[in-house]
Amino acid sequence: MRLGDSRPMTADQLPLNHSGKILEILPSPLKINLMELGFLPGKYLTLHHKAPSGGPLAFQMDETLLALRSKEAALIRIELI
Amino acid sequence: MAETTLSKSTQTTRIAIIGNPNVGKSTIFNYLTGLNQKIGNYPGVTVDKKTGFFHHNGEHFEILDLPGTYSLFPNSEDEIIAHRVLNNTHLETRPDYVLMVIDSTQLSRGLFLATQLIDLGINLAIVLNMADIAEKKSIEIRTFELFKNLGVPILQTDARNQKGLDQIKNLISQRNFTQAPTFLNILEVIPEGLLKQVRDKFDLENNYQAYQMIRFGAKDKAILEAVRIWLQQLCQTEKFNLEEAQLEETKIRYAKITDLVNKSLFKKTAPKPKSNLDRLFLHSVGGYLVFLAILLIIFQAIFSWASYPMDWIDGFFADLGGWIQSSLPDGPLTRLLAEGVIPGIGGVVIFIPQIALLFGFLAILEDTGYMSRVVFLMDRWMRPFGLHGKSIVPLVSGVACAIPGVMAARNISNWKEKMITILVTPLMSCSARLPVYIILIGLTVPDETVAGFVNLQALALLGLYLLGILGVLATSFILKSILKTDEKSFLMTELPSYRIPRWGDVGITMVEKSKTFVLEAGKVILAISIVLWVLASYGPPARMDEIRSQGEARLENVLEEEQIAEIEAETSAKLLENSFIGIMGRAIEPVIKPLGYDWKIGIALITSFAAREVFISTMATIYSIGGDVEDDLTIREKLDQQINANTGEKTFNKATAFSLMVFYVFAMQCMSTLAVVKRETKSWKWPLIQTIYMSGLAYLMAFITFQIFS
Repeated sequence: MRLGDSRPMTADQLPLNHSGKILEILPSPLKINLMELGFLPGKYLTLHHKAPSGGPLAFQMDETLLALRSKEAALIRIELI
Repeated sequence: MAETTLSKSTQTTRIAIIGNPNVGKSTIFNYLTGLNQKIGNYPGVTVDKKTGFFHHNGEHFEILDLPGTYSLFPNSEDEIIAHRVLNNTHLETRPDYVLMVIDSTQLSRGLFLATQLIDLGINLAIVLNMADIAEKKSIEIRTFELFKNLGVPILQTDARNQKGLDQIKNLISQRNFTQAPTFLNILEVIPEGLLKQVRDKFDLENNYQAYQMIRFGAKDKAILEAVRIWLQQLCQTEKFNLEEAQLEETKIRYAKITDLVNKSLFKKTAPKPKSNLDRLFLHSVGGYLVFLAILLIIFQAIFSWASYPMDWIDGFFADLGGWIQSSLPDGPLTRLLAEGVIPGIGGVVIFIPQIALLFGFLAILEDTGYMSRVVFLMDRWMRPFGLHGKSIVPLVSGVACAIPGVMAARNISNWKEKMITILVTPLMSCSARLPVYIILIGLTVPDETVAGFVNLQALALLGLYLLGILGVLATSFILKSILKTDEKSFLMTELPSYRIPRWGDVGITMVEKSKTFVLEAGKVILAISIVLWVLASYGPPARMDEIRSQGEARLENVLEEEQIAEIEAETSAKLLENSFIGIMGRAIEPVIKPLGYDWKIGIALITSFAAREVFISTMATIYSIGGDVEDDLTIREKLDQQINANTGEKTFNKATAFSLMVFYVFAMQCMSTLAVVKRETKSWKWPLIQTIYMSGLAYLMAFITFQIFS
């Protein structure tokens, strides 16, 4: 993914150390959990760490480092910034 | 507008502490109550109910520490408790006041829950904790602005450094809690007609309570079935989409909170950079190496430190038993006390050093923030087996002792993942198996080095541990497709900033966990040890008396001490052979013969159901070794001379010894674990299934091993 490319994607596709702005949370039974944790449209997140071999992803959002499995991160639609 | 009503039933004022996970709730709870805590049960769930008491100016306060939660909408058993307590579901008593703890650096997320509490009409006060970290991050909170907009009293504290905690005591004793005006108008989300019907039917105070009732009506099993059906039908006829309403509520609530936070919070920070510690601890290779190193240090510490107090405890109870036997008049009661009850209690107490140390280390790892990193690293490797990243803690603890491992499984919120973890943890080779392994390996595996540096005995030991791990993975894999749950497995966890552990809290955790084990599991263990003692000490009276008088007759003619000891040892061996357990051992011989065991080993299998290490002492008694049973070499030499009456060969040949070791890898053989599983699952069903499965697996694997080597 080229830098500056602002095509919408989901948070699991974010390259390491890149940031995105949340556009929406896709419908799912887990949507409410994500929103309660503070994943809300308009917030910025940065992918800081990836566990090896498709393991969880750690996003920095505001003051918090939050870990999600990639299929959960796939529920967060973002635009790359 | 402080309220001064006391709860009607007693003079004690009930206060609940609530907050998100990792906000320092427990530190505040520990500060208020000290060791004056009690762990009880909530009906129908496995969550512990932590209550404590504190007294101030002659008044009594009962403090309830609720499990950490992000919202009033429960995702796990833990969170449903918060809901039940606050909504006065008939099984719980609603607290008079609620103290909400918020992490100052996570203001929005904390306010999300706090404003829900306000909307429920709860008498509330807010503590903004972790003021020190907020200050470090240049976050400044205008508490007055918050107070003006929320209408509840607000305190700022730094519980970790004991700052501002006395204010909390004052606030509680002055009952400075407030029922504030509604924060969010739920009518924006739900039609009034629907809410009114629910309010009228259940006689509720406000609309948000009615909304909560609808939300939980369908889910919470503590609510009567008729009520649940009524609520479901109501939603259907009113064409009300609950899920949509929840999302809408979350959106609106967060929008209002964001406005409020913008007004009341100053932040001068740039986006937070990556932590240097995380660069190492979460590294794809380095992270795992660090984890391995930490594990090695912990096990080293547990094995070397715990062995001293364990030896003292062992010695103390042996002396106490001996003292009782020699100073009280001989009789069945004295013997029951000295040989049944005292060793039974000793068998419980002996686990305390391991449990306390392991939980001490776990508390340190948890409190520093490292544990969630391990979960992050391990989740991917656990999931294929139906386990969760959090399962790694119980499994790793299981290498020391399954008891704290099973107790640690309660942090897993998904029922299925928790059950699998609890059921497989005892398959990890614990420290109690080690003595059995060592004696049998010493007996049959030559102390030789192959390929230049690999010691064959060490290799055999490693093989047994790996076999246990294989058992864990295979069993998890099978359970994954058997156990069913509607809960969705997810990993959404905060990786908190690294911090120095709070030593006081670590100490309290060690005390509380040990106490829980002794009080809850101890009862079962004591009962089983007494039963086993009775079975091992009594047999058909005529036969037992005959053996005793034969022994006495033989003793009359000898004077040499050595001979006396020998005769006494032989007599006690005969007594055990003819006791009820001995008879049972003979009875199961046909069953265990295919595994290469004779009835003497059968007896040891039955007695060591209490605990695996009992195998050694039973073998010592039954082969009338006498003298110092602690001396491995004596036992080993004696065992080596035994001849199997069925085959005429050595009893402990390679095939039998290997088969026995494999049996101990898989068999449950630990009533303490059984008692803890019963406690954690709140039923006898699971420990029974587990015992049957593990014994069956042990039998099968031991059979295969015997066939291969004989």
